Amino acid sequence: MAKIPELKSQYIWLVALILFLIPAVNPLGAPFAMSDVTVKIYDLMQSLPEKSIVVMGGASVFAFDIESSPGMIACLKQMAARHLRLVTFPLGTEAAQYHKFCIDAARVDQKYGGPWKYGVDYVLLPYTPGGSAALISFLKSVEATVTLDINGVPINQLPLMRDFHSYKDIAVWMCPHWGFIDIIRYATGECGVISVSFAQSAAYATFSPYMMAYPGKVYMTNGYVGGAQYERLVGIKGLGHKVVDSYSLISVLIPALIILGNITMIVRMKEEEVEAKE
Amino acid sequence: MISTDPWIWLSALLSISCFSLLYGDNKAFRWAETTYTASVIGHSVVTGLVTLRDRFYPLYTGAQPQYIVPLILGILSIFIVWRKYAWLATISMALMIGVGTGISMRALIATDIIANTRAVIGETAGILKGSPADQLGNLIRVVFTIAALWYFVFTLIPKGPTAKPFSWIQTIGKYALIAYIGVAVGNTMQQFTGCATSAIYRIVGLWLGFG
Amino acid sequence: MSATVTYIRTYLAQAVIIVGCLAMLIGYFLVSPEAGRVADELNIWNMNVGTFTLFVGIITIFMRYGRSIINRDPNWLFHLYCLVVIALWVPFGTLTGVYSDLYQTLYLNTKITLHITIIGEMIFFCVSAMYRTFRIKSFRTFVLAFLAALMIVFNAPWLTTPFPQVGDAAYWLLNNPQMAAARAMVICGGIGGIILGIRILLGLEKGALRITGG
Repeated sequence: MAKIPELKSQYIWLVALILFLIPAVNPLGAPFAMSDVTVKIYDLMQSLPEKSIVVMGGASVFAFDIESSPGMIACLKQMAARHLRLVTFPLGTEAAQYHKFCIDAARVDQKYGGPWKYGVDYVLLPYTPGGSAALISFLKSVEATVTLDINGVPINQLPLMRDFHSYKDIAVWMCPHWGFIDIIRYATGECGVISVSFAQSAAYATFSPYMMAYPGKVYMTNGYVGGAQYERLVGIKGLGHKVVDSYSLISVLIPALIILGNITMIVRMKEEEVEAKE
Repeated sequence: MISTDPWIWLSALLSISCFSLLYGDNKAFRWAETTYTASVIGHSVVTGLVTLRDRFYPLYTGAQPQYIVPLILGILSIFIVWRKYAWLATISMALMIGVGTGISMRALIATDIIANTRAVIGETAGILKGSPADQLGNLIRVVFTIAALWYFVFTLIPKGPTAKPFSWIQTIGKYALIAYIGVAVGNTMQQFTGCATSAIYRIVGLWLGFG
Repeated sequence: MSATVTYIRTYLAQAVIIVGCLAMLIGYFLVSPEAGRVADELNIWNMNVGTFTLFVGIITIFMRYGRSIINRDPNWLFHLYCLVVIALWVPFGTLTGVYSDLYQTLYLNTKITLHITIIGEMIFFCVSAMYRTFRIKSFRTFVLAFLAALMIVFNAPWLTTPFPQVGDAAYWLLNNPQMAAARAMVICGGIGGIILGIRILLGLEKGALRITGG
């Protein structure tokens, strides 16, 4: 049998790069199926009464959270259309930037032609240090934890914050961050607040036990695929759709390479057996 | 049409420099790496200054004069950087350790242990209820959870007549953990694909104007 | 004298740990308004002290890179570049405002772009690593490689679109066998965390106090 050489990593990377470039230059528009849990989250947000307060908050790293951004941006558009209200509560130094990024990308503010007015429909709070300590304090008393918004305006001067004092005023906690565990532990576990995450695919594996521990209170989508599904439900095409295109090609390459690697191994083993007999 | 936005040019050049690591370590990648370090540190300082203003605003207005204590403790905590003067940070660190320990203990008891144990008990009751897929799912959840716990708790298998049953349960636990790793690794490929898509789109789509 | 000071400092630190920890536990588990007030106040003090950790990085980097520049170590020019960028970044961010559109644009086009690219590069390393390491030599490796490949394929749109049941199967794998093992780790981690907390309360675990000599 012909000897199959070990592929050099550089050749594999070149093939992978070509597979990424194809949909980048010519979007494929790959179709994808819908998942029940994504529809459940969408229906949950649709069922909230107008003027309900949703908190977007948590702690993590922006680059990991980018995987949550397709679903989060779509959800923000849905919230604005439903006349829900939003308060952001970043627990990480990058979370504040991430919240601003999502809101700007969703184009929900009046300066972009959206329905939301700052201070009335949404408020951006600054980074609060302390992690879970800050979260506990915020859930107990918003005024005791945060005094100014990101513009340095005292929060008691903002109309929305006059209706928001503690966890009792929160309809849903959205956490597009890796730090979803703290939200489940304290917001859902201790205070009973429904929490939703557009979970990163790596994080889904870690968070799934908590989802099962609090059925009906904790919901998660799965990675970019879940984000793309939410984009479709809201009627937009964003990063989620782009990633589905790339993933549809990469998901062929990886199993093919696993099979090829095993074929290479089996052929080499047979050759070594023959050589040993000789 | 290639972009004329200088920010897009900067981000595209940084992305290309970063990808150049695939070719081998080089000066361009070092530049990108150093820029990353500088931006992380710069951002944390800028955020720190703004956060100081926000956190100590009540002290500044006189609403909460007792915040002078955490202000002093916070300044002392910075001395941890110098080995000779690290002793100054003792009380600050003690406060953070004590409060952090108390907060995490209460969550670990309520959520990690009790809520998960309650879920296992609920699933045990669900083994004979619902559709075949649900029943199988509940059975697998209960068996795999107990077996994996067994694997962690009984690291050393006791000798004697119970050794064989112990090792069977341990083996099931081992395979449960292998299944966890396999499924988690397979699911995580989405994340890396997405980040690569975002980076390549920035170069090809936003900078060069294709797509 | 210094032995007495060290003695007092050590026991004072232990007392602060015990008060902080018990305040959080009593304030939550028992109905005591006084304990609740103490817990809330200590919580806010903890958050305020935590703010200063954001400045540890800049001090460390200036000390380390400064030494490297003075000694003309390898890559000293990059270290100088790093310190110059930090020295420009901080006043820029302070003057424009950390939540301003201009600062956000700078941040997104530098740090975030780089971080996303670094994580995105992982797919290339993962793809070649999977070719080399997922070699089936035993039943264990078969289970690992098979489930990983299965999960990759079950998330693929080219399979879930003609066969939607495949998407349900993916969630079944995630929510049943995978979740069960993760739950065992969570429970064990929780037990470990509580034991660690008790050891800290009893003074058997120094942790960060080791470096302070506490």
